[in-house]
Formats: sequence, C-alpha cells, structure tokens
Amino acid sequence: MITRRSFFPFSVRLIVPLALALLVVLVYPLVFSFWVSLHDYSLTALEDIRFVGLKNYIELGSNPSFWNALRNTLVFVFGAVFLETMLGFSLALLLHRPGHRFTNVFRSILLTPMFITPIAVGLMFRFLLNQQLGVLPYLLGKLGIQIDFFGSGQALFSLILIDVWQWTPFMLLLFLAGLESLPAAPFEAARVDGASWGFTLRKVTLPLMKPVILVALIIRGLDAFKVFEYVYAITRGGPGDSTETILYYIYKVAFRFFRMGEAAAMAYVLILITMVLVIILYRLMTPKEEA
Amino acid sequence: MNDSRYWRRTLGDWGGTLILIIALIVVLFPYAWIFLTSLKPTVLVAQPDVWLFQPTLANWREVLLESDVPRYLLNSVIVGLSTVLIALVVAAPASYSFSRFKTGGGPVRFSILAAEMLPPAVLIVPLFLLMFNLQMLDTHIALIAAHLTFVTPVITWFLIGFFDEVPKELEEQAMVDGYTQFQAFYKVVLPTVRPGLAAAAIFGFVLSWNDMFYALILSGGNNKTLPVAIAGFWTFRGIEMGKMAVAILIAIVPVLIVSFFIQKYLVKGLGGGAVKY
Repeated sequence: MITRRSFFPFSVRLIVPLALALLVVLVYPLVFSFWVSLHDYSLTALEDIRFVGLKNYIELGSNPSFWNALRNTLVFVFGAVFLETMLGFSLALLLHRPGHRFTNVFRSILLTPMFITPIAVGLMFRFLLNQQLGVLPYLLGKLGIQIDFFGSGQALFSLILIDVWQWTPFMLLLFLAGLESLPAAPFEAARVDGASWGFTLRKVTLPLMKPVILVALIIRGLDAFKVFEYVYAITRGGPGDSTETILYYIYKVAFRFFRMGEAAAMAYVLILITMVLVIILYRLMTPKEEA
Repeated sequence: MNDSRYWRRTLGDWGGTLILIIALIVVLFPYAWIFLTSLKPTVLVAQPDVWLFQPTLANWREVLLESDVPRYLLNSVIVGLSTVLIALVVAAPASYSFSRFKTGGGPVRFSILAAEMLPPAVLIVPLFLLMFNLQMLDTHIALIAAHLTFVTPVITWFLIGFFDEVPKELEEQAMVDGYTQFQAFYKVVLPTVRPGLAAAAIFGFVLSWNDMFYALILSGGNNKTLPVAIAGFWTFRGIEMGKMAVAILIAIVPVLIVSFFIQKYLVKGLGGGAVKY
C-alpha cells in the first residue's frame, strides 16, 4: 500500500531523527574529543594549541597518578561488584519463594536505593559515618568499636560499602527476574530425586542462571567504573590519593588543571576498556543470532 | 518427611525472614535518619546521641521559602522534561524500525548499547569545550544536550523491547483498513506500547534528574540543578546539616515514589528485547 515513492525505504526514514540527534550530541563530540587528545590543549593557553601527535597517550604510561587512579578504580569495581553479586544473589534466593506473604513489599523497598541520585547517597553516608556527627560511629562506639570510616587505609573500602548499599538492589532486580523465568521441570526432577537444597542450587539453579549472572556482572561493572559522586561528596580523592578514581582524576585534570588534551587522551583509553566489555556483553545478550 | 528435615526447613524459613528484615533495616535506616535530621532543631543536628526531641519544621521552611532550592528544583524539572520529550520523539520511531524491520541489524543494536555504556568522562571534555566556545555554559540547553547523550540510547534500548512484543498482524490489519505505514505505526502500534513509553519516559527522567557529573561542569552557576545544589552542602558547617537533609529528601522522595511504578518494567527495558529471561 505504498503510494508515495521515496528514495529511502520507510524503515530508514524512521531512524533519521535519531541518527541526526546522535550525530550532533554524540558522534561530533567524540570526533572533536579525539582531535583534542592529539593536541597540547590547555584552557589557560587557548591561543597556543599545538599538535603533539600521540604525546598525550604516551605520557600516560609514565604518569603515576593515572595508574594510581586506574588501580583504585579496579579495586573499587571488583570489590563492589563481587559483594553486590553475592548479596544480591542471596537476597534473590530468599525473596524467590512464591506465596510468601510480604515478598512484594520486601522487594519494592529493597530495590529503592538504586533509583536515588548518587550524590545524595554519598552525602547521606558521609553524614551517617562521620567521626563526630555520625550516628554509626556513635552506635559502634557504644559497642566498644572505634572505626574511622574515611581514614587512610579504609576510605576506599567504605566507598565500596556505600556502592554496595546503593547497587545491590540492581543485582537483586536482575537475579529475581532471572529466577522467576527459569523452567520448572529441572527443579521438579531434582525434587523427585530427593536432591538437597544445596545440591539443587549448585547443579540446577546456578548453571541455569549463568547467562543472567554474566550480563548483570558486566552491566554493573561498567557502571561501577564510572564512580564519581561518592568520591566528590566524601573524600575528594583523599586521604592522599587513596580514593582517587579514574573519573575523578579526569575531572581534576580537565577542570582543576585545565589540561584538556591530557584529559581527552585518558578518556579515550577509557573508551577502549569500555568497548572490550561492551563487546562481551553484546555477545552474551544475543547468543542465538551470533552463534 | 522426617522430623529433622521439617525442623531444618522451618529454621531456614525463619532464618531467611530474619536476614530479609535485617536487609530492610539497612535500606531504611539512612532514609529514616535523614528524615529525623531534617526535623531536628539546629543545635541538636550535630548530636547523634539525641533520638527524642521536639520536632521543628524550621529547616523545611527555610529551604522551601527562603533559599534558592525551589529554583534549582525547577531547573531539574525543566532539563528532565525537555530531555525526555526530545529523546522520546527521536527514539520511538527509530526503535520501532529496529524492532519491526531489524534496520541496521546487529551493528546498530551494538552501537546503541555501546552509547548507553559510554563513560561520561569521555564526553565531558568535548561538550564543555563546545559549550564554552558557543558561550552556552550554564544554560539549560547545554545540560539538555549532555543528558540526551545517555537518555536517548537508554530510551531507544528500552522501547525496542516493548515493540518486539507487538504482533505483526496488528499493523497488517491497519494497512488493510487503508492506513499508510506511518499511520499504522502512529495510530495503531504506538498506543499499544503506551505502558512502555511511560516507563521509558519515567526512567529517562530519573536518569536526567539524578545526574550530577554533567550538571556540575556544564551548569554549575545560576542554572544549577538539584544534585549540584545538594553537593554545595559539602562544607558540612553545623548550621547547614538540617537544610542539607531537607534538600536530599526533596531530591529523593519523588524518585522513590515513581520507582514503585517502574520496577516491574525495568527488567524488560534493560534487556532491550535481546535478553529473554
């Protein structure tokens, strides 16, 4: 029933607005950013922008602050994602009991932290965990436990715990959805055979859940890589540079030191890391079409 | 069914419920404490050992009536609504095309996923320099452009999942009835995915509402949004804590309320039609 002739088919015309929008806000800035990364581009010397080739990239190799930020970020990502997976999976198993009276209420409330703005979470916990003003050190003090949550040595770990508070719900959400859609037959068979709870978990639940777990791990890992707000709200990279993460360091180089070329180069290194993970994620999400 | 097995199950049930209740307390305690703090008289805010006190609305009154926070709230709403509106208009036809005609195939889906996962650090430098050169720093437009970079891919990804569930017969019937292809999409298919559109719009709005990174750098002045305003309480002066608690509650309560409505759509949206759980 196509009456009007057009050079492009209908399916292509539908995506023109999206393509134009992303060209302006996404593709053009990305290309411009690559150009910036090849220049000595400082906001304090805009009249003196010089082409330097790959110098900004090469110098990253010998920049201890960059490596420190990368290391802190990796510790943060692995620590947080590991704890969130463990906790999220345990809670999902506990909540996945059909017919339990309060399951829906529990789930709705347990999921709430993932929706609120991370800067609010950061400030909330900075207040709660503060040595003098905080209620948690006060309560722990009553029990005879003295912890300086943001002292050197444990600050990064405290940031991990804050991330666990906010993002375990994300894991819980995906794992619950995964559990709810598992086929019933293997569980029925295990029950008939008299398999124990632990055996069923190891031999039936976990293998069936593997794709969901992998997808959740990568999405969360990519997201945890972007940690900025907790650092900004609480430690500003300190004590020393023990909580300086990659996004915070890029922010500092670009908007405190105004070295745009160097910041753009770091950002491109970050793209490479991200893309490797996205490729894996994409493969996992579309198994049938690819294989 | 022997005795020990029965007891183990019962204990397991109770143990599980106990763990869930502890988790519930861990989640709710920070909200409760911030709420209490917002009602505390200024002199008591810095005293974690005071749990019983005469509540006061002074902090609320000061923040709502005598500070700039309501203006920042309005900025957040303007930026969020504009971003979501633009994103929906460009994303809805495109995601229909990706779902129904498989336009672009795998590479297109991959690009959208990649755009969704792109760290904001990658775009902040060029966006800042562009807005700086255009003299558009500290404007709503600068921030809307920045938020479109992640809200558009997320909404597109979201909607693909919803369009995938619309049966082909629906448009075929519409075209037999004399609709053009576009009319079939606009008048028949689009209304059937209304819940998906609503969930995607709300989720996109929440993402824009929650962003602090772009907002801090691109519009940290007069046109700052609520999260940037909250970050301004960083100094932690004693007198500011009660007001900080109020500002935090203003930023999180609306989101907590809408979260109950979009939770059940979120999994389908995140999967983008690619993951069939």
